[in-house]
Amino acid sequence: MSGFRAPPRKGENFELSADLNSEYREKRKDAIKKVIANMTVQKDVSGLFPDVLKNMQTDDLEQKKLVYLYLMNYAKTQPELVILAVNTFVKDTDDPNPLVRALAIRTMGCLRAEKIIDYLCDPLQKCLRDDNPYVRKTAALCVAKLYDLKPELVLENGFLETLQEMIADSNPMVVANTVAALSDIHTAATAAGTSSDAFQITSVILNKLLVALNECSEWGRVAILNALARYETVDEKESEHICERVVPQFQHANASVVLAAVKVVMIHMRHVHSENLTKQFLRKMAPPLVTLLSNPPEVQWVALRNINLLLQKRPELLSNEMRVFFCKYNDPLFVKVEKLDIMVRLAGENNVDALLSELKEYASEVDVDFVRKSIKAIGQTAIKIDVAAERCVNVLLELIGTRVSYVVQEAVVVMKDIFRKYPATYEGVIPTLCANLDELDEPEAKASLIWIIGEYANKIDNADELLSIFVDTFTEESYPVQLQTLTAVVKLFLQKPDGSQGLVQRVLNTATKDCDSPDVRDRAYIYWRLLSTDPGAAKAVVLSHRPPITLPRTTVSQPLLEELLGEISSLASVYHKPAETFVGRGRVGIDTVQRKDLEPADERSAAQKALQTVAAGQQSENLLDFADDGAGDGQQPSGLAATTVLASTPAAVNILSGTSSNPLDDLVSIFGSASMTVPSTQPPTSATPLVGFGFAAPATPSVLQAASPPVQQAPQDDLLGLF
Amino acid sequence: MAIDGLIILDFAGRPIIQSGFRSAAPAYPLLHIDALNNALSTAARPDDVDPVLYVPSLNIDSPSACCHARVGDMRFVCPVSGDIDPLYAFAFQQTFVDILREYFGHISAETLKDNFDVVYQLLEETLDSGGHPLTTSQNALRDIVLPPSLLNKVLSVAGVSGLAAPSTNPQPFASPIPWRKAGVRYNNNEIYFDVVETLDAIVNKNGMPVVSNVWGRVESNCKLSGTPDLLLTFNNSHSLTDCSFHPCVRLQRWARDKTLSFVPPDGRFNLMEYRFAPTSASSMHQVAVPLALRCVMTLEEHGGSFDLTLTSRLTTRSMENVTVELYLGEGASGASCVASHNASWSFEMKTLSLRWELKDVSPSGSYTLRGSFTSTAVIPRLSRAFRVHFEIMKHSFSALKIDQLKLTGELYKPYKGMRGKSAGNLEWRW
Repeated sequence: MSGFRAPPRKGENFELSADLNSEYREKRKDAIKKVIANMTVQKDVSGLFPDVLKNMQTDDLEQKKLVYLYLMNYAKTQPELVILAVNTFVKDTDDPNPLVRALAIRTMGCLRAEKIIDYLCDPLQKCLRDDNPYVRKTAALCVAKLYDLKPELVLENGFLETLQEMIADSNPMVVANTVAALSDIHTAATAAGTSSDAFQITSVILNKLLVALNECSEWGRVAILNALARYETVDEKESEHICERVVPQFQHANASVVLAAVKVVMIHMRHVHSENLTKQFLRKMAPPLVTLLSNPPEVQWVALRNINLLLQKRPELLSNEMRVFFCKYNDPLFVKVEKLDIMVRLAGENNVDALLSELKEYASEVDVDFVRKSIKAIGQTAIKIDVAAERCVNVLLELIGTRVSYVVQEAVVVMKDIFRKYPATYEGVIPTLCANLDELDEPEAKASLIWIIGEYANKIDNADELLSIFVDTFTEESYPVQLQTLTAVVKLFLQKPDGSQGLVQRVLNTATKDCDSPDVRDRAYIYWRLLSTDPGAAKAVVLSHRPPITLPRTTVSQPLLEELLGEISSLASVYHKPAETFVGRGRVGIDTVQRKDLEPADERSAAQKALQTVAAGQQSENLLDFADDGAGDGQQPSGLAATTVLASTPAAVNILSGTSSNPLDDLVSIFGSASMTVPSTQPPTSATPLVGFGFAAPATPSVLQAASPPVQQAPQDDLLGLF
Repeated sequence: MAIDGLIILDFAGRPIIQSGFRSAAPAYPLLHIDALNNALSTAARPDDVDPVLYVPSLNIDSPSACCHARVGDMRFVCPVSGDIDPLYAFAFQQTFVDILREYFGHISAETLKDNFDVVYQLLEETLDSGGHPLTTSQNALRDIVLPPSLLNKVLSVAGVSGLAAPSTNPQPFASPIPWRKAGVRYNNNEIYFDVVETLDAIVNKNGMPVVSNVWGRVESNCKLSGTPDLLLTFNNSHSLTDCSFHPCVRLQRWARDKTLSFVPPDGRFNLMEYRFAPTSASSMHQVAVPLALRCVMTLEEHGGSFDLTLTSRLTTRSMENVTVELYLGEGASGASCVASHNASWSFEMKTLSLRWELKDVSPSGSYTLRGSFTSTAVIPRLSRAFRVHFEIMKHSFSALKIDQLKLTGELYKPYKGMRGKSAGNLEWRW
């Protein structure tokens, strides 16, 4: 454009300025477009503010929109100039064309300039009562924005009351936007700490919402459904009524409506006691969840995360649908991992064969992470379904036969878990495992194999030879491997004292003198002391009977699960963490938390309290175990014996958290964190959290008790920990 | 409880267009763009980045998340703060992409840049600065944002666009039905239904399907005057399960007698989506896969050779655009093949995969691809499955037919048309 004009070129903005002031409207419009184009590519065109402003008064709606767009972008930096536009804005809110009225009120709401706000109230008052629904619905949202900037203006002008009346509007779109605006105000008010009666849902409003639900747009439906989720029903009948009215939304084409509806039904179903109705609702919930899986991967992922959560509460929900979750080769990793987790969750005696052949298939895939997870899933299946354990072991043996390094290593780790669940059942496998000793280079796999050797030392003829390999390289190994070697050698010594005295001496010597990990050193000292003072006691501690492991039914604690189910479809349910841990907007403030504690009625604080109680109860249970054991027959605490079982776990957790951001999937980490996050596991397993402390703690119960307060802290840390 | 805005990035991660953000900090969108670009560059495969990224904030108390999805050569990003539904963001992105497609046909970074003024207007109309989606119904949008048309362009070049511009409807949203605009007139009243079905299956070594699902969609194009009230009956509606519908469909009517009763929107829309379940009683209800693939693979050090045979199991119809793909594993360096029947093959360096394309597979026809490949890896680790894609025109797996289309509320007799189209995405393990 007019490149000829400026040999001493004064820049593009200068030319644009000239064009903006041109006498030809076409030229002006083109110039505005160019300004916007420059704005888009982040060029600074703020200097043209007065020139652009001149073009605001026009009959051309498109041009007006573009000018408004420019204003919104630069109002923040040029607040004193925006005031020049106020008159036009106010005039536009009286325009005969509803589009112009709506546009003006919307833009004024977006400008966020203090000076404009004062002029906003009167036009807004008018627009809220406009004849045209398009203007009304735009104005409704504007109130929420005004509240964000100056809440007192909203209250003074009675906009809240107007909004509350507008819920009864004849146009469903207006109702939907009103609900959205009121919800926004409610959230803002709650966050700011003011009493939030802005959006009290009464039974009258409830009925209006239920009517509007079927008529408004998909976005409006989500807003209404979210409002319904907040409603507290007065009796069971009302809960049933809400569920019945919401269930048809399952068939909406928009995935977000579907999940919001699932949320509402899950929340209000808590108050429905009729077994029949509950079943009926759940039956209707399954198909839409399956349908979500035909969507693009990102939607699938969100759906899968939510399905995972739903299944923890209602395992029967998709019991016949496992095949839908079979992974495809080109699914993105995040989808595959979730599918895998859900497949194991859905595994039962009737479909385990299909599952195993599928998992075997995955284990030969290209993607290393996924292969490992599949092998883990085989282990989880073995632990979950007793009758299938043998088939799982056979599959694992086949995989070990492939001799692909990472497959073998993962299989060894998984075998260790199977040994823990079914002790002394699959000893025939041990030679095969030991044959692969040389191929192991990952600490976790090594530690697992060493544990197996130690555990079955009396059945493996050359156990001392195998272990001496590791003792030779003791100082070069990683700590988990060192810990395991130490324990395994002691176990060997206690079972076959004749040939292994030298070995035990050597390992204790190295561990106490040359090792720089306090954990390893301390444990070596404990063993040394035990062995030298009372070998009988040592036997009772080190070789004591260990409780079999189980697969937890939930990956999060029960109260947290309840809370998350109340937030299905939200980020909280995607991350499986309570919202406070990751969202801002003042929701984490200390006073908020305190306030919540003061309101016993508040569901979340109740949940948190329940969580604390459960955690505390679990701990006292552990301590009782100890007291009994210790006082009873002079046996040293079984917790220390558990140490040997689980010694590899903390390391395992570390290793795994490196490969996956979602430690919940991992079998081993479940063992590590199971008892911390899952109060529902049986007491035997729940003895394990002390393990971490048992490493360092001397074996006297009193010190263990002293060590327990930090443990008590652990569940909260775990739950509230950030990403 | 809403998304914060929408940012559209080009393939290099630079923003093309973004909506106005309410957030006070101008750095907010940049923070998200940066977080996403970082995640993409560190991931082994860009598609493996979690679709909801956690974005730590500069001031600690307000971290947020970033929902992103790839669309063609662009990425659509929705930052969200607060505990909101990520699907809400994804659903909005999808809706917006659909709107853009409707406006511009094919969309790419280029088209968006060329039509930025229209895109901006669309953004303004569809997404409130507070993050609430506003008008997303395409019928209503056309009233307030004019699509770029050839006429407009010609007139603006001629300098008389003032004459053409004011064709926006002076009374928008006057229609009592939110998805249909009032006062539509056509000379020829016609409505078309396209039944598009996709077979999604995993087939094991023996050619037996492990999983197979048929997902179907009824797309319609409605050009009917006035406010027609339609009643559509299918011949085999009982085999459709897991249905979801356009909001115009009266759900109660479907629940009662499996007929679709609705007042259609004007123009193109998705009437319903469904899953096809052939015999609802047995648990092994599966659709037969219309082709067979036989593979003899010999793997050696630094390569291998293969012999593929693809046979159509269809007896009367031909399949079109059949492609067979195999990922040859890390380090694959090349392949040489001989394909029968003038079919074409290629080795794509970028994806390390072998691709065999058959434009047309005749009924019961049999095709072969023989060859070998080389790899720098000593033991090539190939993917365990072929990816097979095919299309069959004028065919639907469910054999869904319209039994009847009744129109009430208007006097004319509409012309109705129906087409079937099938596609398949198979994973064929060897």
